[in-house]
Amino acid sequence: MKKQSFWSRTLIYLLLLGGALLSTIPFLFMLSTSFKEHSYVFELPPRFIPENPTLSNYIQAWTWNNFELYFTNSFVVSLVTTLIVLIVASMLAFAFARFRFWGKNILYYLILSSLMVPSMMLIIPQFILAKNLRLLNSLPGLVFVYVAMNVAVSTFLLRGFFESLPRELEDATRMDGGGFFTIFFRIVLPLSKPSLATVTVFTFLFGWDEFVWALTAINQQSRLTLPVAIHSFHGAHQTQWGLVFAASMFAIAPVLIAFVLLQRHFIQGLTSGAIKG
Amino acid sequence: MDGGYYRSKQVIAFLVPALVFFLAFNTYPLIEAFRMSFYNWNIVRPENSQFVGLANYMKAFSDPIFWTSMKNTVLYALVTVPAQMALGLLVAMFLNFNLPGTKVFRTIYYLPVISSWVVVSLLFRYLFNGEAGLVNYILVDLLQIFPSYVSWFRNASTALFVIMLLGIWKGVGWSMVIFLAGLQGIPTELREASMIDGASSGQHFWQVVLPILRPTMGFVAIMLVIGGFNVFTSVFLVTGGGPLHRTEVLLTYMYYQGFERLNFGYGAALSYILGIIIFVISVIQLRLFQKPVEM
Amino acid sequence: MGQKRFSLMIALVVLVILAQIGVVSAQKVTLTYWHGYNPVETRHFEETIIPLFEAKHPNVTVEAVAVPYDQFYQKIIVSIAGGMVPDLIRADLAWVPQLANLGVLVPLSKEMVDFEVYKNKVFPGTLEPNFWAGEYYGLPLDTNTRVLFWNKELFSAADLSGPPATFGEFLQYAEILAELEGVWGYAEGGTGGWNVLPLMWSNGGQLTDDEITRATGYLNSPSNVELLELLVEMLERGSLGPSILGDGFSTADGYAQGRYGMIIDGPWMVSIFADQYDDFEAQMALLPSGDGGSVSVVGGQDIVVFEGSKNKEAAFDFIRFMLQDEIQLSMAEVGQMPVIQHLEESSYIQEHPFYGIFFEQMKTARARTPHPEWPEIDRVLGNAVTRVLMKELTAQEALDEAAQEIDVLLQ
Repeated sequence: MKKQSFWSRTLIYLLLLGGALLSTIPFLFMLSTSFKEHSYVFELPPRFIPENPTLSNYIQAWTWNNFELYFTNSFVVSLVTTLIVLIVASMLAFAFARFRFWGKNILYYLILSSLMVPSMMLIIPQFILAKNLRLLNSLPGLVFVYVAMNVAVSTFLLRGFFESLPRELEDATRMDGGGFFTIFFRIVLPLSKPSLATVTVFTFLFGWDEFVWALTAINQQSRLTLPVAIHSFHGAHQTQWGLVFAASMFAIAPVLIAFVLLQRHFIQGLTSGAIKG
Repeated sequence: MDGGYYRSKQVIAFLVPALVFFLAFNTYPLIEAFRMSFYNWNIVRPENSQFVGLANYMKAFSDPIFWTSMKNTVLYALVTVPAQMALGLLVAMFLNFNLPGTKVFRTIYYLPVISSWVVVSLLFRYLFNGEAGLVNYILVDLLQIFPSYVSWFRNASTALFVIMLLGIWKGVGWSMVIFLAGLQGIPTELREASMIDGASSGQHFWQVVLPILRPTMGFVAIMLVIGGFNVFTSVFLVTGGGPLHRTEVLLTYMYYQGFERLNFGYGAALSYILGIIIFVISVIQLRLFQKPVEM
Repeated sequence: MGQKRFSLMIALVVLVILAQIGVVSAQKVTLTYWHGYNPVETRHFEETIIPLFEAKHPNVTVEAVAVPYDQFYQKIIVSIAGGMVPDLIRADLAWVPQLANLGVLVPLSKEMVDFEVYKNKVFPGTLEPNFWAGEYYGLPLDTNTRVLFWNKELFSAADLSGPPATFGEFLQYAEILAELEGVWGYAEGGTGGWNVLPLMWSNGGQLTDDEITRATGYLNSPSNVELLELLVEMLERGSLGPSILGDGFSTADGYAQGRYGMIIDGPWMVSIFADQYDDFEAQMALLPSGDGGSVSVVGGQDIVVFEGSKNKEAAFDFIRFMLQDEIQLSMAEVGQMPVIQHLEESSYIQEHPFYGIFFEQMKTARARTPHPEWPEIDRVLGNAVTRVLMKELTAQEALDEAAQEIDVLLQ
C-alpha cells in the first residue's frame, strides 16, 4: 500500500489542525471570558488569558438565581424522558421488527413522515393541547412532550437494529414455550445494548439542550431548565457575558465529560443506523 | 408465524404505550394545527374564534415578511447543507488515512455537534460583536483582511452570514463522523484493484468511492436538509429575526406571529405551509437517493 | 357487605384527611409576583422588602421572579395565552392599556375597597396611565424619567466645562467629543419611543395630536424630519454611537468605560454603575433644551393584578404594602423613585444626591401614547427610525409612511 508522501501528510495535518483550532477556539474563548469581570469582557485587544481572573461569575451564576435547581430540573427531566423513551420506543420498535399487524404500513409511514417535518412546527397546537391538559408550567408536562418528540426517531433507530438480530435464539425460545414478553426482555433487549445506549445518549442530550418548548411552556421560575436559565442571563440591553458563559460552562461541562468517556456509543450506534439506511 | 413475522393480539401491548405519546402530542396537534389555520384564533377566549377560511393562507402569500423568511430558510439550507457535506467529507477523508491522532481529531471536530444551540448561539453573538468582538479583532487588527470593523448584525446579509457560519461550524462534525464510518467500510481491496487498473487517486475517488458512498450521502443530505429547514434557536438568539424581520426564517416568523402577536391561526397556517414544503422536499430526496449502486 | 362498609369507611377517612389538608392549605397563600428589577434592585427587594412583607403577613409567601426586562413583555403575552398568569406583575406603564383592553386585569378601582385612599396618595401623572375605559386597572409603583448622563473625564479631555444646556450645544458637544480617539459623542440604546421621543419632544415635535386620533401631520412634521436627519448625519460622522442600531457597546458599558460621552438614562443606572464599575461616578444633568423645551419621557411601573389570580385579597395587601412610605423610601435607595406625593418633601428626597434632577425633569416630562395599540405603534416608530438610520428611506418618507400606519392603529 502506497504510503502518503511526507509533504502530503504534513499538509493534511496542518489542515486538520487548522480545522481543529476553528472548532475549539470559540469554546476556549468562552471559557476565558467566563473568568473575566464585566468591565473586561469587551476590552480591546481581546485577551485569551484574563488580566484579573475571577471566580465571581461562577459563584454568582450558581448561587444567585437558584442555579442548582435549574440543573436538577434539566437532569431529572432528561433522565425521566430518556427512561420512558427507552421503554416505549423499544416496545414499538419490537412490534415493527417482529410483528405483522393490521395498519402496520400506515403507522410506519405516519411515524416516518413525522420525522420529515420540523417538530417545532407543531408548537402552537401543542401549546394549546398542553394548556387544556393542564400540562403547562409543569415538569411532567415537559417530559410528556419531550417523549412524544423523541419516540419516532428512537423507534427507527431501534427497529433497524432489532431487525438485524439473528432469529435463532428467539425461535428456540418460542419453541420452548416462551412468550413475546420473554423474548423481548430476555433476548432482544440485552442484545441491543449498543443501540439502546445510542438512544439513551441522544434522548438525554435532547432533554438537556431543548430550548424552545421549555421557554414557552414553563413560566414558573423554579421549574426552568438550564437552556432557558442561560437565556435569561442574556439581555438585549446589557448582557453580562461573563455570567452567561459561566452558566454555560455548567451546562456544557457534564456533556463534554460524558462525551469524551462514552464516545464510542455516540458514534457507533449513529453510524450503524446511517449506513444501513 | 407469517413469513418470519409474528401475528398475535399481544402486539397491542407493545404498540400502545408509544402510540399514546405519539398520537396525542404529534398526530393530534398536526390535525389541530390544520384546523386552527382556518380560524382567527382567539387565545383568551377560544370559543370566540372566527372562521376565516383560507384567509390566513392568503395573508401569508401577500405578506412580505413571509416571503423573506421563506427565502432565508431556503438560502440557509442551500448554503449550509453542501458546505457541511463537502467539509465533512473532506475531513473524513483526511481522517481515513489513519494518521496518528485521528481519534483525538475526531473528538475535537465533534465537540460543536454535541454542544447546546443556546450556548453556541450566544457565543457567536459575543464573538461577532461589532465593536469589540474577537472576530472583528482578528479580521481587522491581526490579519488585516478588512479595513474596518464589520457591523455584522446591522445588515441582514452579514447577519445571515454569521447564522449560516454558525450552522456549518456546528454541523460539520456530524457529517464527518458518518462519512468516516462509510469510508472505513470500503474494503481496501478496491483501492488496490483501482491501482492495478492504473487509476489515479482522483479517478478512484470519483468512480469508486463516491458511488459507494451514495446512500450515505443521501442519508446525510436528507437529514441536513430537514435540519436546515428546522433552524430556529440560532436565528432566535443571534438576531431575533432582525434587523426589522430581515433574518427571519419560517420557524422564527411562525413563533413570532404565534407567541408575540398572538395570531395563533396565522401561525398555524405558516407552520403548515412549512411542513408541506419540507415533506415534499424530503420525499423528492428519498426518491433521488434510493437508486441502488452497481458494484 | 362487610367489604362495602369497609370501603365506605376508608372513603370517609380519606375525605376527612383531604378536608384537613384543604383547610390548612387555604390558610397558606403563595403570591407569584413578576417584577423586572435588575440584579441590584432584585437583591435589595428580596433581602429587605419581601421579608418585611412576610413578617407582617405570616400566611403569605411571596414568590418573586426577576424577569429579564427585554423578555418581560413577551413572557406576559405567552402566559396569558397559556392561562398561566402570575398573581401580580410590575408592568411597564405603557403595557397597561393593552392588558386592560384584553380583559385580563382586575379593575382595582372597583374591587379594591380602599382604592380612593391610594389614588389620592400618588402623583396624578403616575396614576393616569392606569386608567382605561372608566376604571383604574393598576396603581403606580415607581416612577422615573430619563436625564442626560455626561462623562466628566471625557468632557475634560475635550475641554468642555460642563453639560450642554441647549440642543444646539448638545449637537456641538457630540461632535467635539467624537474627535477624541475611539469615542462617540452620544449614544442611544434603540429607536423606540422610549429612546427617541425625548429628543423629538425637546426639539418641538410630537407623535400625535392631543386627542390621540392621528399621527399624520404630527409625526411627519418638519421638526421631526429635521431631527431624524440630524441623527443620520451624526451616525455617519461618528458622533452617534452604533448602539442605537443594536450593535457595539451597550449605552451603559460604553458610557462607564469612556467610549460614549453622553447618554440619556434613568435613576436606576447609578446603582448599577456603583455595582459594576468601582471608581466611576456618573454625572447627570437636565436634558438640553430645544424648541420644545427640555422634555423627557415619563417612565415607571404600575402594579397590576391578573383576573386569573386566586389570591386577590392577598394581592391587594401586597399593593398596599408596596405603597407605604417606608417601603417606597427603601426602594428609592436603589433608584426606584417613589410615587407618593408627600414624599417629595421628605428629607430623604430633599437631601438625595441626584433625585432632585429627576424630579425637576419630571415636571415637564410627557407620557408615551396611552393606547392599547401602543406596543404596535412603538414598533412602527422604531422601524421607521431604524430604516432612516440605515439610510434606506429618507426621514420624510419613513415618517410619512409610519404616520399613515399609526393613523390606522389609532382607529
